Amino acid sequence: MADIVKDEILAQEETDKAIAKEAELQAAGGKAEDDKAHPVVLETRGVTIQFGGLTAVDHASIKVRKGLITALIGPNGAGKTTLFNAVSGVYIPTSGEVLLNGEHLEGKRGFQINEAGISRTYQVINLFRSMTVLENVMVGMHTRLKSNFWSDLFNSKKKREEDAEAREKAFEWLKFVGLDEYANSPAGSLSYGKQRLLEIVRGLASDPQVILLDEPAAGMNSTEKLELDALLKQILNMGYTILIVEHDMKLIMNISDYIYVLYHGALLAEGTPEEIQANPDVIAAYLGGEDDVI
Amino acid sequence: MAVFKILLINGLVIGAIYGLIALGYSLVYRASGLMSFVQGDMVTIGAYLGITFYRVLGLPFAISFILTFACAFGIGMLLERGVIRVLLSRNVIPIYIVLATIAIQYIIQNTAQAFYGSVTQRFPAIFSKPTLTILGVTAQTEAYFCLLISVILMILLHFFMTKTKFGTAMRGSAMDAMAAESVGINTSLSTGVTWGLSAGIASLAGMLLGPMYGVYTTLGATIGRKGFAGAVVGGYGNMYGAMVGGLLLGLVETFISGYWSGTYKNMVAYIILLLFLLIKPTGIFNESAIQDV
Repeated sequence: MADIVKDEILAQEETDKAIAKEAELQAAGGKAEDDKAHPVVLETRGVTIQFGGLTAVDHASIKVRKGLITALIGPNGAGKTTLFNAVSGVYIPTSGEVLLNGEHLEGKRGFQINEAGISRTYQVINLFRSMTVLENVMVGMHTRLKSNFWSDLFNSKKKREEDAEAREKAFEWLKFVGLDEYANSPAGSLSYGKQRLLEIVRGLASDPQVILLDEPAAGMNSTEKLELDALLKQILNMGYTILIVEHDMKLIMNISDYIYVLYHGALLAEGTPEEIQANPDVIAAYLGGEDDVI
Repeated sequence: MAVFKILLINGLVIGAIYGLIALGYSLVYRASGLMSFVQGDMVTIGAYLGITFYRVLGLPFAISFILTFACAFGIGMLLERGVIRVLLSRNVIPIYIVLATIAIQYIIQNTAQAFYGSVTQRFPAIFSKPTLTILGVTAQTEAYFCLLISVILMILLHFFMTKTKFGTAMRGSAMDAMAAESVGINTSLSTGVTWGLSAGIASLAGMLLGPMYGVYTTLGATIGRKGFAGAVVGGYGNMYGAMVGGLLLGLVETFISGYWSGTYKNMVAYIILLLFLLIKPTGIFNESAIQDV
């Protein structure tokens, strides 16, 4: 009994020390601590994307840190989704680099980038609509399964075991977002908000290093938005890293750790939600004729 | 009754062939949103390849069968990589791509003519026993064989598409390419394999038909059109619809020839197609209502 109390006191002391150290580091600029606890996982360096003569993204450099929610905001047409598409392999950057843990991703195809560890959701939902909800999540795990064509065809024992395991895991994911009761319904029959959730867990099912969420709150009602807010925090607690594009400022300011603001394709500002909200350039950009107001 | 049974078997045999070809049309449509006229000519190519391997080179039938499939698979993939994808990447309107497949169709037919001549080639019998009697119905052994193999191929394809990872990847790519890429599916490979598989299946249909019909350069073109009609009747783009549509068309035209006149069988088959287009364009397997492949 006494030992346990002693242990607890010791543990408490340890925690106190850690907090004190953190405060010290914060005071010293916070950067060093950031790199240690939240190293950069995904990074774009001077990414530029041109379509013909139009520059959609202009030398955008952003850093996504492990275990944090990094947000990309900006008025409509600022190039947020285009930058997303350059990271996920839908577009090849005209110039610049995209790095995942130091590995170059620019120029790779979408499926290769997913294999490297980046999942994504789309602004316009892209699900396998006529597959079941469960199948959608299982397909999300495909690249991580080991069975091959022949073991599949002959339905080997190993394959069946792996299948059963994948099915169970997929079911766990569905439970996590409360879609387990729809497991066997076609994905296309779900409501809009539920389809979004399914797209998110399908992305998570491949256990990505970073998940890119392109306007996950679009089309959600206020209750669903609150649920999404909680869900994103839960996902973060599971150790995942999120890069998000979103128009809902209330949601963004509430959940983000770090925000980049894009304006006409170029980076206008970056910082914590407080810094961004106080930034006069950002306010001007948003009030300059756009319908989104911080 | 005896006539009915014979017609039934014959109808099922030709219907299964239509079904195999229709399957290819539906797979290709799902994967690339196109129809390819070459699909029918893959039957011809398959039959000629069969003759080459089986009769000319004297290889065992099973080996010839596999080699034919492999060659046709390669041709199908090459067609997709070398022509279809190039045109698609240039954002050419779909009808031009269909036109390109018509061009290739004639190139294939004339090339086959150059190699094998315009006379009907004999495809040697596969079995030493010319006829077989099952349940009191006597038919060419190859007819029963054709039916058996077709059914096996359909079952195999069903398992491949639904149970294997690669089949699921193919369905995924066809359903939503963006989603497929973002979950790690190589959609370009999936599409290529789909074209290869469609061509491969059609070539096997050609090998099964050969011993019964003989082989000539326009064999596949005629039968291919029926296969296409079967795919539409079943519900264009639906794998199972294609099988059912093909079988239905085969049965109808065989019964028409048997009880009425062979002269009118094509007319009736295409009237059915037209009726479906006008009244039920979604086909038997109502596309939006059923899980498609």
